[in-house]
Amino acid sequence: MLRQREKTVSWKAGALSVGVHGLLIMALLVSVNWKTKHSSAIAEVELWDSLPTVAARPPAPEPTPEVQKETKPEPIVKQEPLPKVEEPQSKEPVVDIALDKKLKALEQKKSDNKIKLEQSKALAALKQDMLKDDQQVKDKLLKEQKQKQQNDAIKKLAQDMLAEDNATGVEQANTAKAAASAGAIDEFQTKIRNKIRSNVNKSLCGNGNPELKFEIGLLPTGQLNGSPKLIKSSGNPTCDNAVERAIMASDPLPLPKDINLFNQFRSLKLTFRPNEAN
Amino acid sequence: MNLGNDMSIFTLISGASLPVQMVIVILLITSLFSWWYIFIKVATIKRAEKDAVDFENAFWSGGDLNKLFESLSANRRKAQGMASIFEAGFKECARHKQQARMEMSDVMEGSQRAMRAAYNRELDDLDAHLPFLASVGSVSPYIGLFGTVWGIMNAFRGLSNVAQATLSQVAPGIAEALVATAIGLFAAIPAVVAYNRFASSVDRLSVRYESFMEEFTNILQRKS
Repeated sequence: MLRQREKTVSWKAGALSVGVHGLLIMALLVSVNWKTKHSSAIAEVELWDSLPTVAARPPAPEPTPEVQKETKPEPIVKQEPLPKVEEPQSKEPVVDIALDKKLKALEQKKSDNKIKLEQSKALAALKQDMLKDDQQVKDKLLKEQKQKQQNDAIKKLAQDMLAEDNATGVEQANTAKAAASAGAIDEFQTKIRNKIRSNVNKSLCGNGNPELKFEIGLLPTGQLNGSPKLIKSSGNPTCDNAVERAIMASDPLPLPKDINLFNQFRSLKLTFRPNEAN
Repeated sequence: MNLGNDMSIFTLISGASLPVQMVIVILLITSLFSWWYIFIKVATIKRAEKDAVDFENAFWSGGDLNKLFESLSANRRKAQGMASIFEAGFKECARHKQQARMEMSDVMEGSQRAMRAAYNRELDDLDAHLPFLASVGSVSPYIGLFGTVWGIMNAFRGLSNVAQATLSQVAPGIAEALVATAIGLFAAIPAVVAYNRFASSVDRLSVRYESFMEEFTNILQRKS
């Protein structure tokens, strides 16, 4: 490989060659140290005119027919609450449970027909108290509902919640809670819709006011589960595609922190009117 | 969710696929060898030029050719370059003269053949490794390009599984792949430059040797 006369310089040349490559690697290490850090520090900020739960907002969301259907059985169940069945997840106030138990015990006593007059009086008083309490709670609920009367959707969603909870029995306190969580649900539905709306290329939807409906599956992380399904087309395929792309681009969607509420978001049916001002 | 990518040169190479890594290793070895040969040739050609200058000075100083030949023979080191050509020619001429029966033209032809042989040996030594440098210069960019194409193919294949194609999904793969091209170019550019430079140096040396051969033939003819 090497000629006779080259042997004398071969070691020196080898050392120089290794040195050159060492220099190359040094230069690469110093200059080509691309550290790309797009960490979570890039915050995603959504701007809101007002807080949806507190402020009365114009009824932007259009309740879906399913919701309306579900609200129908609500009054029937409301008439006869079943206090015995406890909803496992509901964190009722302890006082209410105690009162219920007392009421039960008193009723049993009454059935025994061994109650003295004072006791019956006391029972009556207690019952009256109970009724008063009930009335107070009802009043409170009414007030709360009045506050949200401008927002039909919230109310209907609350009733929706209620109707679902009715399967296990609903108490007045629970309704209040349901109303609150319904507010949260509505808030996040509006957030989701607004986030998607901000990604829609409105110029693709023509001049009219097309309306289209998508069903979206969500994961607990807020990411899309599968691709969105078009339920009701606007009649304009370009517009439909634009909205679908917007849904894809909005991934991940905002979700409430409360995991219990997630069931409401597992499968969302959202109505869009891309050309309508918010 | 931290998407931070540490893209230092080591993570780039270690993250690359096996063919790309093999290409990088081959190119690094090639580059090491080509630089080794470059330094060897720099040293040998420099010494050959210096020897040629020294010998021409000694030859044209007007001294006795017999003395010059004896000093070259006495030298422990084997004569190189012009000195070896002179040695071969002078030895052949002296041998023919001792036989004394030969024609003048035959003596001249014999010594010329001896000088031509020595010249060819010298040129062969000077030309050594230049084909290697030429091959490295022309081939290593293609090897690097092969690694890059392979790496980019992999990067794009990973892209086919996702619904939304983002640049951050392909960028690391392409960066990895481009390292192969970079190393290929790093091996090729010095090799090409060195090849051209050495080729011209060897050409000039060979012209010098040939002209010396002609002149020395004339001197021998005059003397005999």
